[in-house]
Amino acid sequence: MPQDLDDQSLEFLLARAGLTLNAAQKAELKSVYPGIAAMAARVRQKRGIMAEPAHSYGFTEEDL
Amino acid sequence: MSDSGFLTIAEAAGEIAAKRLSPVELTRACIERVHALDDRLHTIVHLTEERALAEARAAEAEIAAGRYRGPLHGIPIGLKDIVDTKGIPTTCQSKILQDNIPDADAACAERLAAAGTVLIGKTTTHEFADGGPSFDLPEPPARNPWNTDHFTAGSSSGTGAGVAAGLFLGGIGTDTGGSIRGPAALCGIAGIKPTYGLVSRAGVAPAAFSLDHIGPMAWTAADCALMLQVLAGHDPRDPASASRPIPDYAASLGKGVKGLKIGVIHHFHEVDYPVSDGVRRGIDAAIATYHDLGAEIHEVSLSPLQDWGACGSLISITERAATYEEWARTRLGDFGERVQRRLMLGALVSGVDYVQAVRRRRELRGELRAAMEGLDVVLTASQTAEAPKIDAVPLWDTFAAPSFTMPFNVAGYPAVTVCAGFGAGGLPVAIQLVGKPFQEATLLRIADAFEKATPFRAARPPMRAAKAAA
Repeated sequence: MPQDLDDQSLEFLLARAGLTLNAAQKAELKSVYPGIAAMAARVRQKRGIMAEPAHSYGFTEEDL
Repeated sequence: MSDSGFLTIAEAAGEIAAKRLSPVELTRACIERVHALDDRLHTIVHLTEERALAEARAAEAEIAAGRYRGPLHGIPIGLKDIVDTKGIPTTCQSKILQDNIPDADAACAERLAAAGTVLIGKTTTHEFADGGPSFDLPEPPARNPWNTDHFTAGSSSGTGAGVAAGLFLGGIGTDTGGSIRGPAALCGIAGIKPTYGLVSRAGVAPAAFSLDHIGPMAWTAADCALMLQVLAGHDPRDPASASRPIPDYAASLGKGVKGLKIGVIHHFHEVDYPVSDGVRRGIDAAIATYHDLGAEIHEVSLSPLQDWGACGSLISITERAATYEEWARTRLGDFGERVQRRLMLGALVSGVDYVQAVRRRRELRGELRAAMEGLDVVLTASQTAEAPKIDAVPLWDTFAAPSFTMPFNVAGYPAVTVCAGFGAGGLPVAIQLVGKPFQEATLLRIADAFEKATPFRAARPPMRAAKAAA
């Protein structure tokens, strides 16, 4: 996972999110990206394909 | 100023039930203190003085007529301003909702009203329960009654400061990553984040759906037990609401801790992120106190604090970005600067990052379950240090230090913070106790035993004492 974010990538992410930021905000967001990348790395553990997420979907009495 | 607002809920309830204390007198004492102190504390964004006096008079009349509803009858409370209140502004401390007047009460407000509480006002919050102490919102941030130059923590900042200062006896906080336990710690009070699903979230503005908890904040753990008794219970309006029997939380108080097993997660506060000397001393003394009271102390090891933080932060950032996406796209500039920053972060987290975080969440919860096997609770830090200066809180505090509270939002386990003494500058320090799911009765019993074995509940913020003596 890249530890830095270039301008082109940031513009793509912001466009996808629908956010309109000024130059200072963009610079700030780029500066904290390594923190997000580090978090994203931490949640990736060696786990098999069967590892379920914490949130599961099921039916309640009201559905039946 | 009358001292009756300095009573705990349990003490006031006893006096009210015995008809030695009038709910009207108690309410007037609280309102008097609001007028005397809140220009410095900023704990209340909407004072409901007339309604409070009307509710107090109604409580007094009902009690006189023999219709006492229970320990919360006639007790003045505050509700965090993200809790919907019928006919009363609920602004979430945001420019975006300045004109919002809900047409129904949130579930927690409804339950507290049915128990006969008296609403003093809506309490200060960080904007949409997010961000930090902001000076660009409609109302200023709450200040710490132990030293008004200092931060309360958040986001249930007004409830924490207001309880500590005796402006009301208890209140509602919400907790997505520590927003009950943080203000409880830094303001020197008690606050419990119940098990996920125990208290309905219906009618409370969301921060992050799967991490949000609603809970009581009060001067003591025993008071939290009285409030939780009313708040807990199934609510079909909250899809995560649990349907379980509700025990008598106060019944187990006073039974001591002899033979109970307490695990200590030393590596969280000694290795993963070393806490301040004051917090460290408070934790060490608390462990010694529990040992002296007859509890068994065990060592517990979990994944590093930073792993729990990463998991919780990615979930929180993403769920928040989804919740407020429309306003972020169309009205970003109407949010305060801190929340703008939080919402911007959503653009940096991918869908796969989120799902990996939710998979990690299941692993971490399993780890905690295994570590707590054979234990009653675990003990850890609640905050990294005493309250910082209010103007020294980093704008990007998501990355500044790992949270000691977030792990238990990730796990959904109940966690209570209680005062464990005073550190640098005479500011409160705290411990955090974590119970097993739906074992709040044991958790509160252990917290209550600590409060009763230590002198910290006798100490009140100096601004109260100074005003009360005046």
